[in-house]
Amino acid sequence: MTAKEVRFKCLMCGHEYTGMYDHDNVTERSCPKCRSNSVRRLPDRKPAEKK
Amino acid sequence: MMDVGRHPRINLMTFSEVESVTGFVGNFQVTVRKKARYVNPDECTACAECAKVCPVAVPDEYQQGFSSRKAIYLPFPQAVPSSYILEMDNCLGNNPIACGKCAEACEKHCIDYDDQDKLVNFEVGVIIAATGMDVYDPTDYDEYGYTRFENVITSMEFERLICAGGPTEGHFIRPSDRKIPQRIGFIQCVGSRSRDGRGNPYCSNICCMNTVKDTLLLCDHYPGVEAKVFYMDMRSFGKGFEDLYMRSREEGVKYIRGIPGEVVENPESRNLVLTVENTTTGKLEQHELEMLVLSQGVIPRRDGEGIRKLLTLSTTSDGFIMESHPKLKPVDAPTRGVYIAGCVESPKDVKDSVTQASAAAARASILLNAGKTRIEAITSQVDADLCNYCGICAKVCPYNAIMAPDRKEKKAPVIIQAACAGCGACAAECPQDAIAMRHFKDEQIMAQIEGVLAEHPHKHLLTFACNWCSYAGGDMAGTARLQYPTTCRLIRTMCSGRVDEKFVIHAFRLGAPMVLVSGCHFADCHYINAVHWTQKRMDRLWNRLDKLGIRPDRLQLEWISAAEGQKFARVMRELEDRVKAVTSEEIEHTMKVLADEEAKVQKRKEKPAVEVTVQ
Repeated sequence: MTAKEVRFKCLMCGHEYTGMYDHDNVTERSCPKCRSNSVRRLPDRKPAEKK
Repeated sequence: MMDVGRHPRINLMTFSEVESVTGFVGNFQVTVRKKARYVNPDECTACAECAKVCPVAVPDEYQQGFSSRKAIYLPFPQAVPSSYILEMDNCLGNNPIACGKCAEACEKHCIDYDDQDKLVNFEVGVIIAATGMDVYDPTDYDEYGYTRFENVITSMEFERLICAGGPTEGHFIRPSDRKIPQRIGFIQCVGSRSRDGRGNPYCSNICCMNTVKDTLLLCDHYPGVEAKVFYMDMRSFGKGFEDLYMRSREEGVKYIRGIPGEVVENPESRNLVLTVENTTTGKLEQHELEMLVLSQGVIPRRDGEGIRKLLTLSTTSDGFIMESHPKLKPVDAPTRGVYIAGCVESPKDVKDSVTQASAAAARASILLNAGKTRIEAITSQVDADLCNYCGICAKVCPYNAIMAPDRKEKKAPVIIQAACAGCGACAAECPQDAIAMRHFKDEQIMAQIEGVLAEHPHKHLLTFACNWCSYAGGDMAGTARLQYPTTCRLIRTMCSGRVDEKFVIHAFRLGAPMVLVSGCHFADCHYINAVHWTQKRMDRLWNRLDKLGIRPDRLQLEWISAAEGQKFARVMRELEDRVKAVTSEEIEHTMKVLADEEAKVQKRKEKPAVEVTVQ
């Protein structure tokens, strides 16, 4: 599996940013703004399908 | 080394690579690939007749490329076994034979062009990893002109030039005109103690004393020579090192505190002009030198990842292999039965490497002589009745200690107790709760959560802290007398990887306003990569809380090392403010939502999978 660009949100300061994420090669996350490690990978938003 | 080669009970396998390591302490099965040498080492007498007739010349790696060697060569004069090797990539005599001169010249008929790699399997009780290090490549530091100016060399190249067995037979000459330089400069910390994105942040330990030794050699061989050392700090700790440093100063070597910012070459004289801020005088200075030596730092072996994976070892943030405990088990690797020695663990000099190797050998012999070993009782157990054979436990185990048969076989996994280190990641990830970890069972941790939140739960910050780093970080905060709120309640687990989703949910269900999960930094994880699973689990938990309408930021994650007492205290203070901000209505809502979810799950469990109607 290759790395893909995902959105992250810091749960300490609320800062949102995009970064690379590789499920097989997890790396330590820290918020670029406040250095907290409580950085959540936001779920992918799939576009709604047209009916 | 000769003694090692001749020892009847030591099987020395040179020019070989470890292919696989399986098993556990006392019972390792190792496969080694003995590479084809194309020369029989038992018969070769190193007479050099083959090299004399070989028509191929390539740069000699041992002499740092200052001289050439043949395609059939002795790697270095003291090589054990003292036998030539034929490098097939450069040899002309392979398939179809176009040359064959070396085979004709060899009276002992040692050369075999059809030699093949061989795989050798054997069993060992313990393993000592002593794979050494590499040197830093200074090409990143373009301002020093290593790739542009011929008279800029590295400290390794200096070693070869000044060595009696080197390409110039010990005559120290500069490469551009082969004259003996009279003004020589040394720049320290090239690739070490760097914070600008190039090089490494750590001190390479050996470079200062290596330069002191080099300056003394120069002064000894060439009394009139002028040597200047540009440094940020001279670190001459160690027995006799300060005396050596003072001797160098007394010999007239100038030590200038300042790292040059620029090196330019005079195109006519090929001399080098360094611009440096002398931080002792505060003045900008220029120094004209005939030759410049870059004192390059050391780095972990570039090909060390393979052996690290084979032995399931972890590394520090610098990339060197991490010891089991920096003070109490400095030569033990986290994997039982594996020991480390030398620069594979950190940069060190010969004396320290020998000391560490002796300690590792002693530790290994204790285990081998005893014939049996005691292990911590903190290991995992599988309840075969609950297991659904999914195999997730085997996937998450950092030590490959779980043998899970194919799911179709419907057999519960087997945990090799001697290999299990007790991180508990398997117990936390098992969807069936079929794995229990001795001393850290679900019921035991649940009981601790209930105990912590029995009174005034809305006031407490519930913290899960890993034994090795975060819990020790808390200790550090305490011993450093750093203030942090008294309302935080710590529950210790061996690894943050043991923190099950249900522990966090249970804490919120009992009215916890905030939960903190803390563990080692990724590079410091004492269970190789168990923290990776903590991170993944936290992502799942945050999503789950979000779906349930619970603020995900009420669950926090922090990596706190044993030395980060200040961070521990700061995080606790910051989260204390957040605990106060969580309202009682929010806590009650959370408890109700989770109680409803629990009831739904319970109802699903009670409902039979297939409803049978009796007519």
